[in-house]
Amino acid sequence: MTLTTPTAGQRSAGTFRRLTGRLEIRMLVLAIVLACVLSLLSPYFLTRSNLFNILDQSVVIGIVAVGMTFVILTGGIDLSVGSVAGLTGIILGLAVQNYPLPVAILLAVTSGAGIGLISGLLIAYFSLAPFVVTLGMMAIGRSLAYILSGQTAISNIPSGMSDLVYTDILGLPANVLFLCVLYLAAWGYLTYTKGGRTIYAVGSNKEAARAAGLAVFFYSVLPYVVSGALAAVAVTISIAQLLSADPLMGNAMELDAIAAVVIGGASLFGGRGSIIGTLIGVLIMVMIRNGLNLIGVSPFWQGSAIGSIIIAALLIESIVSRRIGR
Amino acid sequence: MTSRDPLLTATGIAKTFDRTRALAGAQFDLMPGEVHGLLGANGAGKSTLSKVIAGHVIPDEGQLVYRGQPLRLRSTRDALDNGIAIVMQETSLVPDLSVAENIFLPELGRKGRGISYAGLHRRGRELLAALGQEYVLPLDIKVRHLSAAQRQLVEIAKALGVGAELIIFDEPTASLSPIEVDRLFDIMTRLRAGGTGLIFVSHRLEEVFEITDRVTIMREGRTVLASHPTASLTQAELIRHMVGRDLGGIYDRAPASAGLKASAPVALQVTGLKSPPVVRDVSFAVHEGEILGLGGLVGAGRSETVEAIFGLRHRSAGTITVGGKVVNPKKPAQAVRAGIGFVAEDRRSQNIVPDLSVKENLLLAHLGAHRGFGLGYRSREKEIDRLLASLGLPADRLLDANMLNFSGGMQQKIIIARWLLLNPKVLILDEPTKGVDIGTRQSIYQLLRDVAAKGVAVVVVSSDFEELIGLSDRIVVISDGASIADLPASLLDEEKLTLLAAPRTSMARNTEMLKNLSLETGGAGFWALLDQDRMICLNMVGAADTADPGFVTGDAKAFAETRIPTALKGREPVFVPEVDGQRSTMLLPLRTSRGHDMGWVGLTLPGGARVPPPETIRGRVEALAASL
Repeated sequence: MTLTTPTAGQRSAGTFRRLTGRLEIRMLVLAIVLACVLSLLSPYFLTRSNLFNILDQSVVIGIVAVGMTFVILTGGIDLSVGSVAGLTGIILGLAVQNYPLPVAILLAVTSGAGIGLISGLLIAYFSLAPFVVTLGMMAIGRSLAYILSGQTAISNIPSGMSDLVYTDILGLPANVLFLCVLYLAAWGYLTYTKGGRTIYAVGSNKEAARAAGLAVFFYSVLPYVVSGALAAVAVTISIAQLLSADPLMGNAMELDAIAAVVIGGASLFGGRGSIIGTLIGVLIMVMIRNGLNLIGVSPFWQGSAIGSIIIAALLIESIVSRRIGR
Repeated sequence: MTSRDPLLTATGIAKTFDRTRALAGAQFDLMPGEVHGLLGANGAGKSTLSKVIAGHVIPDEGQLVYRGQPLRLRSTRDALDNGIAIVMQETSLVPDLSVAENIFLPELGRKGRGISYAGLHRRGRELLAALGQEYVLPLDIKVRHLSAAQRQLVEIAKALGVGAELIIFDEPTASLSPIEVDRLFDIMTRLRAGGTGLIFVSHRLEEVFEITDRVTIMREGRTVLASHPTASLTQAELIRHMVGRDLGGIYDRAPASAGLKASAPVALQVTGLKSPPVVRDVSFAVHEGEILGLGGLVGAGRSETVEAIFGLRHRSAGTITVGGKVVNPKKPAQAVRAGIGFVAEDRRSQNIVPDLSVKENLLLAHLGAHRGFGLGYRSREKEIDRLLASLGLPADRLLDANMLNFSGGMQQKIIIARWLLLNPKVLILDEPTKGVDIGTRQSIYQLLRDVAAKGVAVVVVSSDFEELIGLSDRIVVISDGASIADLPASLLDEEKLTLLAAPRTSMARNTEMLKNLSLETGGAGFWALLDQDRMICLNMVGAADTADPGFVTGDAKAFAETRIPTALKGREPVFVPEVDGQRSTMLLPLRTSRGHDMGWVGLTLPGGARVPPPETIRGRVEALAASL
């Protein structure tokens, strides 16, 4: 077997190829193209207030997508995030009636992490399929949300809670700033820590990771804990905005999160993907929805439009990447 | 030889995987009614070429002509429809279907018609009868319960079931005992007589000489010797063509160091290791600075043994000590902490993390051992540079995104370096040169010797017996999940190792005969290989002290060290008394029906015992030999 060595010409073409070879970059281009098209269709799209609007709408889905990225990087999937958000939202809503806000939030986030821990242990210890375990959790979570709430929304949330979202820090709304900090932390963790690299290794080749002495079990469970906890964080922000906790909260949220992660270049088989890609994926999702609203597409048609755009984006991506050769 | 027209001609076949050129202008031709050996070192492209012929791999260039017509295969289905079948080492059988269903599996892929199970059974019996094996294989048993040899038989029957006229045997003998190999060769001889063209891919030269009519030798993706009559070649010529030069120096080592190593402290000791279902009872010890080979047939439990030691498999019994301390790792991380490194057999599925860069792959074991939140890569930079230089790896390729673009040898070096970075006390390697080209193999051998010279205990599992003997200081033979012999490599050659490695189950009748002999006569029956003045005991039954010949199963001794030196020297088919008058022994050669030398059967009786007539014993041994 001989190895063909790259010639000088191939090397110089390498930089361009490395750039276009990165899915995140291609998706970033897609996001920019999308923004241009939308700004042509609606003059309001590129206004400052609408851009802040887009960022604001990105926060909740963006937070959940971070946890989803962790899970998908290990080759798993978490279908339960939406109903975990619903359930922990109700827990928060009930707790805040009797306890101070920080305690209530802590309780909600701990519950989210706890549910994730149960899913993660079932998946890692008993080798159950992530799809099925989290599907079960999804049903359980939603059902408990209805039972705990007594099938109605909890609307007597202390109005002070909205300060969580609407305080401006450094010229940015607190929730947007939080999102930025979260993405920075997640990016740093996945890139520069033992745990982050182990998550990639586990998703890319679990056998090899185990044989190299990595803590495969721990890092197979951790992503589900993170995902559950972040679902609770996301719903906390939702509640702070709406000042109401509804058992239906987070409905179908898992689909948006998975779509964002996949658009961001992650492989559902694990090992491939990045937090920056996920951020781009989230922005694309939110921009499409925002744009469709601005243009005035009926909400009933929006699902079809978003679905088609996602599939078309991935189709083009698959063709392009095959052309480029991975 | 029914016709002078070739059955198949392949010319100018080229195939590149990613950036690795597997075939670069290979050519090949096959006559009907011949057994054609396809030879080459690891990575020479012989497997790829056979996969091209079998439709598994679509070539980039080149053409196949089959029965005078150009042949374009797009799938295995195509190949089967044309009567071309391949019998692979790892069989393509469905474990949960019956033998009959597996034989006719290709028909399930055809359109139309239901299946008649009665018809399947009848035709299955006919096929097995054609192979002379109708009594060997029950048709309704699930394939899951079959031995490696029986599975292979199913594969062959399956090939005949689709009316194959060209059958490729890819390393068919790797997991077979010598007796099973003989049976396979009988089948191949029958097929050849019936006009079928057979391609025999192997690296066991003695088998090539025994069964093939012509050979084609490949090297680095090219045909270097095309369709040469086997009989006019010598073994040395074959090797020279395969390697491209004389092999002599590959296994060179510092002489007479073995004794020194045996006195070094024990680095790894394994006692009574049990890991169901395969590993039953394995014990051995490796000294610091020693290279220990674990020999045995494919499926004997060697990989399972080392995986169990490393904590990748559950152990139900046994003790593992490293440097005198009991470790008993439950997971690899604990084994690593105890100072064990492990290069698993399958690089692609067990070693390489494809989505991490080459550098991160190199640092993967470090990442597992690192105690901190960050990466700690920086602290290893110097060692990495030093290691890369000593391995002859270009440092600038370390940042390459995809390790799978590297050659097999380069990948293997990086995986080995992954462990060297941690300075292990024990380094275990499972098939370290699988898929590695011959030039790089040599540098891997040198690397392992250098590692051992620094005091690391090296354990190597290999199915290539020549490599195992050449590389190791000592060899522990594993058969049917138990360690049965522990011998210096210098006492062994490939043939002896093959006999030692034969599964005990396939020797059941042999053992039974020895047991009966010893029971009836009150003596000790044994089966041994005899040299000029040394012997290796393959099996010993009967423990009466007075008849003890002075060795047990797995022992290798000089005649003078045993209690029956006179008899072993004389090798008489009658009872020869020893000088001290304590014991008398008769020895009989064991030959299979194909004339294979299977060593000697002996019976030792106590001094004053009643001596049975030697002829009756000879009759029984010959009857057994004939039926093997």
